[in-house]
Amino acid sequence: MAVMTYLEAISDALREELRADERVLVMGEDVGAFGGAFKVTDGFVEEFGEARVMDTPLAEAAIVGTAVGAAVVGMRPVCEMQFADFVACGFDQLVNVAGKTHYRFGLAVPLVVRLPSGGGFSGGPFHSQSPEAWFMHAPGIKVLAPSTPADAKGLLTAAIRDPNPVVFLEHKHLYRRINGEVPAGTYETPMTARIAREGSDLTVIAYGAMVHAALEATEPEQLDCASVEILDLRSLVPLDDAAILASVAKTSKVVIVDEANETCAPGAQVAALIADRAFEHLDGPVRRVATPDVPIPFSPPLEQAVLPSVERIREACRELLEY
Amino acid sequence: MPQLGVSVVEGTVVAWSLAVGDEVAADQSLCEIDTDKIVTDIPSPAAGTLTEILVPVGETVEVGTVLARIAVDASAAGQAQLRAGPESAPPTRAHAGPSAGARASSSPPARSTSVQDAAAPPALSASMPVAPGPRYSPVVQRIAAEHGVNLSLVAGTGRGGRVRKQDVLAVAAAYEPRNADRSLHTETPYRPEDEPEPAGQLSRMRRAIGAHMKRSLDTAATCTTWMEADMSRVEAARRRAKASALLGVTALPIVARCAIEALAEHPALNATLEGERYTRHDAVHLGVAVSLGEDGLIVPVIRDAQTLSVEQLGLAIRDLARRARSGGLAPDDVRGGTFTVTNPGQFGSLMATPVINQPQVAILDLEAIVKRPIVVSSDDGTDDDMIAIRPQTILGLSWDHRALDGAQAAQFLAAVRRRLEHWDVRG
Repeated sequence: MAVMTYLEAISDALREELRADERVLVMGEDVGAFGGAFKVTDGFVEEFGEARVMDTPLAEAAIVGTAVGAAVVGMRPVCEMQFADFVACGFDQLVNVAGKTHYRFGLAVPLVVRLPSGGGFSGGPFHSQSPEAWFMHAPGIKVLAPSTPADAKGLLTAAIRDPNPVVFLEHKHLYRRINGEVPAGTYETPMTARIAREGSDLTVIAYGAMVHAALEATEPEQLDCASVEILDLRSLVPLDDAAILASVAKTSKVVIVDEANETCAPGAQVAALIADRAFEHLDGPVRRVATPDVPIPFSPPLEQAVLPSVERIREACRELLEY
Repeated sequence: MPQLGVSVVEGTVVAWSLAVGDEVAADQSLCEIDTDKIVTDIPSPAAGTLTEILVPVGETVEVGTVLARIAVDASAAGQAQLRAGPESAPPTRAHAGPSAGARASSSPPARSTSVQDAAAPPALSASMPVAPGPRYSPVVQRIAAEHGVNLSLVAGTGRGGRVRKQDVLAVAAAYEPRNADRSLHTETPYRPEDEPEPAGQLSRMRRAIGAHMKRSLDTAATCTTWMEADMSRVEAARRRAKASALLGVTALPIVARCAIEALAEHPALNATLEGERYTRHDAVHLGVAVSLGEDGLIVPVIRDAQTLSVEQLGLAIRDLARRARSGGLAPDDVRGGTFTVTNPGQFGSLMATPVINQPQVAILDLEAIVKRPIVVSSDDGTDDDMIAIRPQTILGLSWDHRALDGAQAAQFLAAVRRRLEHWDVRG
């Protein structure tokens, strides 16, 4: 067990899998010689060689397409989009080829697409997106979004070992801001939700960086000692229906937080699930706190105004508690 | 028709100040409305042209009915929206967009506005239209049903006084279980299994009960003897029991206990007579009549009731009643009784002529306990009688004259009465 940052945990997972399985390879822009835009793969090319730590051209469709090809012949490519926003250029290869190949040809496509996603640091509209909903909506693709270093390592390991195409959302604003205990060696984290804090009066459902915002917003002394449960989804596809419904059955009030744009964000699916299958347990409307349907602004005050803040989450919880 | 008061449901148009086609300014008097002899002036919510009068003079309509239509020009649209009631407001978009912050959407000129829930004159209270939608959330209703909580008695601490989950849970936790004798004859959710009955016949259960009752009356020589008993010590014991938070001991288990003890002295009443075969029983297997509301009556049996204390009898009675109402009784639960008690008194009836539960020879009926003025003699043997107010009840015993006679019945009742009137208040 060691304490490390979210970024170090991701590095650790990659390094362990590269060492354990010679089929694993890493590909992306600047991952080799530069060690990765965020230094996730710092030192990797020295240890594993250029054939397994590949610097690619600035062409996301080619990155994903090549990864699909490598995957169907038995490799385990872990490709990186330098910023999640750029995955749009590789969308067709990912959704139409990677996602559907198993259904069409019976061929497994065991690839991972790592997406450094999320905002909060004035990255502007091309470097701050949370595009997970696009891939939740595409059949045949798993979508993971860890919020802690331990989960980041365990879920990335699980993703690499999974025979399906997996989109792995790393919240880049958590890279160096979050520390946590991370077990040594290799381990897989199950693709289920995690209760980040137990509570009984209200449930906040979140993932990624919003888990930390929710934890801060709902400290008991901030909310008249209300006991708020925080459910960290961790896995968006497969979605942990059972954990969501169990938490709502316990507390009867739920606030869902999305950093993604509100319309059809992952939280919308969670809300629909709750309305459908937990209706008898609800003591109040299912509330959502999300970024409005705008590109993420560069300007710091504008960005702070649109991303769900600790204050907005707290206010939504307070209103619902009093309902 | 605006709601001109909290309890107002309708109004009558007394006069229109304008005619169709007239220009009207905002707040200009449109019409006069009469509600319960009070005539109120209604100002226009908007400036524009009166295009339609829908309710003529003299007609009475319900609150919320459209009275007239005014064509509003675009410049006044914003103001018109602010004055009109909720039903005429356009839906607003939740997220940041050009329309955020203004309830009036950019509308084409000359929109029609209906004079409906208009801004009421300041002198009168303008109340919000009754909000549609459930008064209790699903989880609150479910918890109330599970615990038998009457939601109309639960104070709500939520927004607008709504009942929240924790409110009904708090009441459920503090809710006292109903008295056993009260619970015997209240409406129940129990329903016997459905079967296709031809219309116009009694249910199978009803017919079974009826056959049993008829057979009893045809077989036994049924007589009824009554005796009044002073229940002050019993009531005092019950109050003590409640205060010490023991289970809600009611009069029925106490009367049952006294009857069981009296049966030990008068074994002729703890017997069964089947045809010619007469059997006295040592054990008292006590039948307790449980009402199933509309669906009838059932008499589950507490076996070896002579071994049970008052509290245990109370628990056993409550358990049997609950199981009877939820259909949880087994056939053995209703067989083998040697004596029956019935307690329909919670509705206030004083006396009855109960039917003997075959093949037993007697049944004891406990009716209402009512405070009455009674004569009490002074203790010192003088003739100074006084009037005191005491809780009294009339015990009824129906008995089979084939097996017993009136003297035995009266002696048994006297034994029960003696125990009740000397009941140890400490229980």
